[in-house]
Amino acid sequence: MDFFTAMEVSASGLSAERTRMNVAASNLANAQTTQADGGGPYKRRDVVLSSVQVAGAQGTPYQQAVRGVAVSSIAQDKNPPRLEYDPGHPQANAQGYVAYPNVNPVEEMVDMITASRAYEAGVTSMSTAVNMAERALGIGK
Amino acid sequence: MAADFSTIDKLGTALTYHRERQTVLAGNVANLDTPGYRPMDLERHRPDAPQIKMVTDALGQLGAVTGSDTGELVTTFDDGGALQGSDGNAVTLEREMAKIDANRTRYAANTELVSRRFAMMKYAAGDGT
Repeated sequence: MDFFTAMEVSASGLSAERTRMNVAASNLANAQTTQADGGGPYKRRDVVLSSVQVAGAQGTPYQQAVRGVAVSSIAQDKNPPRLEYDPGHPQANAQGYVAYPNVNPVEEMVDMITASRAYEAGVTSMSTAVNMAERALGIGK
Repeated sequence: MAADFSTIDKLGTALTYHRERQTVLAGNVANLDTPGYRPMDLERHRPDAPQIKMVTDALGQLGAVTGSDTGELVTTFDDGGALQGSDGNAVTLEREMAKIDANRTRYAANTELVSRRFAMMKYAAGDGT
């Protein structure tokens, strides 16, 4: 296990946080989409993360302790759509209600901020690994 | 007296430990938002820790460290005071970042010690020039 394993682990975290950021952006962009693929309003997406073993740590006695992260799926939020009374809307139902996506913009903003902070933390941990590797290369100079 | 590399060997073991620990701590930061994740840490296993001491050789100079540090790395479970969120994740970012920083500083100190040790050998080999 070398420094590249540490970088691989940090990179897995960065890519997971980037996925969260993309999904939050997609939810925000579609906050008012009343007609999505498969009919009905857009349904909020949620990133499901799970910790995984890292290839670089295989065969070491502590491979269980080295955990990367991976996006296991992007799930749809099962909450019902938000109904708003607007009889003139082309997507209004027989009662005059329009189904809007179950997206709460405030919640998405909070998700974006936490993803962004977690990304920064990942960058710091990666640059620490790089800094340590440079230190090792400097031995004897 | 044969060239004494035992100090450098021991410092090398320490460097390996800090490098592996960095990998484990990076995993904790990567899993900041993974539901149910419990943070991990590595601890050095030193069954004979009390026996490790500095000794002086026949000339009264400070020499090698005795006692065998096997350098075995052991996985430890670190619950961080079991402060976990509603998703079962127990990673505290501040705690992990502090550990990463302390670990990096120790690594830097060890590389510096190895460098100094080599510089001393070079000095001795060059007859003090």
